[in-house]
Amino acid sequence: MDNFQKKFLEEASDLINQLEQALLTLEQDTQNPELVDSIFRIMHSLKGGGGMFGFDNISSYTHKLENMYDLVRQKKLKVTREMLDITFESADHITSMLNDDGTKSNEIKRNEEILNRRIDAILDGDNFSDTSFGPAESLEQTVSGVKSYYVKVKPYEHIQRNGTNPFFLIDELVGLGKHKVNIFYSNIPDFENFVLDDSYLWWEIILSTDKDEDAIKDVFIFVEDDCEIVIQRISESDIFEMPKVAPLLDCRQDFPFDLDKIKAICQEEAVKEKEKSEAENSENKAKVNSGDEHIKKFTKESSISGIRVASEKIDDLMNLVSELITTQAGLNLYAEKNKDAELTRITENLENISRQLRDTAFSITLIPIDYLVVRFRRLVRDLSREVGKEIEFEARGAETELDKTLIEGISEPLMHILRNSIDHGIESAAERMAAGKTPSGKIILQAYYSGSQVVIAVTDDGAGMDPKKIKRKAIEKGLIAADSQLSDKEAIDLIFMPGFSTSEKVTNISGRGVGMDVVKRKVSDIRGTVQVSSSLGEGTTITIKLPLTLSIIDGMLVRIADVDYIIPLSVIDTIFAVEHEKIVSAFQNVINIEGSQYPFYYLRDEFGLTDSAPAKEEIIMVKYEDRKIGIVVDNITGEYQAVLKPLGKLYRNQDIFSGASILGDGTVALVLDTHKVINQFTKYNEL
Amino acid sequence: MEQETNSYISFMLGDEYFAINVGKVLNILQLVQITKVPTAPDYMKGVINLRGTVLPIIDIRMKFGMEPIQYKRDTVILVLNVEIANEVVNAGILVDSVKEVFELQQDEILPPPGIGSKYKSKFIDGVRKMSDERFVMLLNIDTVFSTDELVMLQDSTETKEAQEAEKHE
Amino acid sequence: MAKTILIVDDSESIREVVNFTLQNAGFEVFAAGNGIEAQKFLDGRTIDLVITDLHMPEMDGIGLIKYIRATAGYNRVPILFLTTESQLAKKIEAKDAGATGWIIKPFVPAKLLAAISKVIR
Repeated sequence: MDNFQKKFLEEASDLINQLEQALLTLEQDTQNPELVDSIFRIMHSLKGGGGMFGFDNISSYTHKLENMYDLVRQKKLKVTREMLDITFESADHITSMLNDDGTKSNEIKRNEEILNRRIDAILDGDNFSDTSFGPAESLEQTVSGVKSYYVKVKPYEHIQRNGTNPFFLIDELVGLGKHKVNIFYSNIPDFENFVLDDSYLWWEIILSTDKDEDAIKDVFIFVEDDCEIVIQRISESDIFEMPKVAPLLDCRQDFPFDLDKIKAICQEEAVKEKEKSEAENSENKAKVNSGDEHIKKFTKESSISGIRVASEKIDDLMNLVSELITTQAGLNLYAEKNKDAELTRITENLENISRQLRDTAFSITLIPIDYLVVRFRRLVRDLSREVGKEIEFEARGAETELDKTLIEGISEPLMHILRNSIDHGIESAAERMAAGKTPSGKIILQAYYSGSQVVIAVTDDGAGMDPKKIKRKAIEKGLIAADSQLSDKEAIDLIFMPGFSTSEKVTNISGRGVGMDVVKRKVSDIRGTVQVSSSLGEGTTITIKLPLTLSIIDGMLVRIADVDYIIPLSVIDTIFAVEHEKIVSAFQNVINIEGSQYPFYYLRDEFGLTDSAPAKEEIIMVKYEDRKIGIVVDNITGEYQAVLKPLGKLYRNQDIFSGASILGDGTVALVLDTHKVINQFTKYNEL
Repeated sequence: MEQETNSYISFMLGDEYFAINVGKVLNILQLVQITKVPTAPDYMKGVINLRGTVLPIIDIRMKFGMEPIQYKRDTVILVLNVEIANEVVNAGILVDSVKEVFELQQDEILPPPGIGSKYKSKFIDGVRKMSDERFVMLLNIDTVFSTDELVMLQDSTETKEAQEAEKHE
Repeated sequence: MAKTILIVDDSESIREVVNFTLQNAGFEVFAAGNGIEAQKFLDGRTIDLVITDLHMPEMDGIGLIKYIRATAGYNRVPILFLTTESQLAKKIEAKDAGATGWIIKPFVPAKLLAAISKVIR
């Protein structure tokens, strides 16, 4: 799939997110014109983008919805329950068209027919009303980001000597948008002085385009030294839409554009526009009352999509910051080795700045959990209707921010947990009343920082979990022995075992066999932990803890054979030098160091390396549960601040490595998870 | 009537010609130092640094049960876009040399030889006859990557028969 | 009639990728492995665009660019050279020798086509 399609898919899914948010808010406040505008704009964008990037089906489908909301804007249609339902379902429909790989086409077509019929019913129907709605903004100008420029292109005479054709430059430039081109023959010398291959023509162009200034500069990238180029922004909107300027844009041979006059008129127009929209805004403000909080939330949503659009640039930035930190770490090592006072001072300064840069860059990639809350609200709304239960959903601490990758990684597990709560946790209204509870159940999502972690807890006031039932089920499924003694807490933890499913009947929603073991795996994939606590009859709380800074690890760079490894400083207790002889002669992998016995793992053996080991090696004592275990490596290079990069799905089974890091010289070092190393090799050694 | 035309890039593994649909090939890289990741299967050669991301490299010859690749002047890495279990993954494969890019109409693709011939059709989408009478095997790279075990291009029972048959020739 | 392009690079992989990308875009592509081969090819032929690497055995890219510019009948043909980010000095040298533009390695097909569309239409 090409890059443009990918970009459109990202933008489209963002738009759908915004759409759902707007719909949820509109449900509470059906008179709100700004929300209707936003929905209209979203349909418009989907229609346009769909047509451009090969999603004609989306383009044609959203056309009707765009019409529908346009009529609402014009106060010719009222917002109804049916309209909202159709739009919600349309959001899903569009999402499935975006994800369609061709296999679901028939289902999608059928779905679309039904939806279209319902939309037609509204469009043709008796829903028209003249009730005044409040002023609607005219959108066309605000949607387009068209700006106008003056460009002067005056090639130097010799430009054609390197094969450049100046006409191609003009051709490429005018392809960017609407234009007026003025050619100048004034430089053509008289016949005697005319050199055949020289270039004498030059041009002035007035251009209006929605591409940014870089795109214009890019046209001239090869000819910077061969051409005089002037690029000036003359208006923040489309100059070709300003009737007043039109006469000034007429081209007369060898007569330059009156740039000052043109700019003056553009200024006038700009001021007029501003006054007009300010007047409209203050009118609107008077009419819009407590929709304020929703709108605040809503505009925050748009500002998140602003981060999204720039997300490739953010990735580039983060990569560069990582490389900077890597290089700076290398410089640190060098400074230490060379014991140069001045150099050390400078490197410390640099380290300080790098740290700050890293922290700032990081905060750019942090996104509040609120971004996901829309999805959750939607899920609770739809699902609770489907199962016929009344459920209230509250999010607290939604402004808590998480790394972009964590947000993506935590979304699915949280959806599972919510599904479970709704499906199995919260009881039906009747059951609840019989138990003396309020008929509607409540699910609370809480997010907050705790130390260096982010905690996300989902609490429901449902039926809770029965340790006895769980134990029985586990025995039935052969997951534990019939006579195992388990505390209530241990029993409840059994739900994390693979192959476990507590529901009596497999329902449609959570019934795809997705259990808490999958949630646990997905959470640990992003280096988090999940716990459950429950009280029978009262409710259940699932707590997820995630590390705040996923990516950067303070570690010790070590070497074994020809590969570098990194061990996180947080697990290192002490390091001892040790003779190779002592390692190989140790009995049952236990070594005596300064009077105490320690078990150890000789990574050369465990990794199956056959080349000859150095005579002197290093043993790193790492903390493992409440003990110290030795890890033997060839030698220690030094402390290293590593930017963690994933090894990727292909290395999923090699979980003794939390990832990799790119060193200053470009080679790849592997980051060791000593906990998993010890677990894995203990298993093998016990066989 | 419109024909579907597809472009393939062909390469050699040992004496055999293989080809992959060009849409799956992101890049061709010169050989660089590969960091071996211990405890992984032998055919997983390790990882390299590709402009800041970590890219796994596979010795696809070993995956096909051939002798491990020997680095020569023409050895290159084909960076591929592979789909495994509904996830898209980037990975590099080591090949002995890249040959050419050719276009294929849908009706020029011959079905992979069935029973009694050497190759298992799950991993081969089809076969194309080249001008010098040799065959190029069109690899279904997604299935190749989706198997954790060694890819048996040849059916083990049929291998024996084929070997017997060859002996008698 | 399709425009003709000559790619000159000693790396077979690069020649392949360029060949494939440009053929798909409707150009007729010819390839040479070094400057001497390129010269032999250009002898008596017309070509619409030359793309050349700078580092090649026997005659490097700069030499080839100079040769082309000095040859009657070829001195206006657009020439693009392949370069890596860090070779700034070479870039200036190549432009001085008469190159029209450049493409930065490694490149994706889209970038190759974008650069080409600047110089032949």
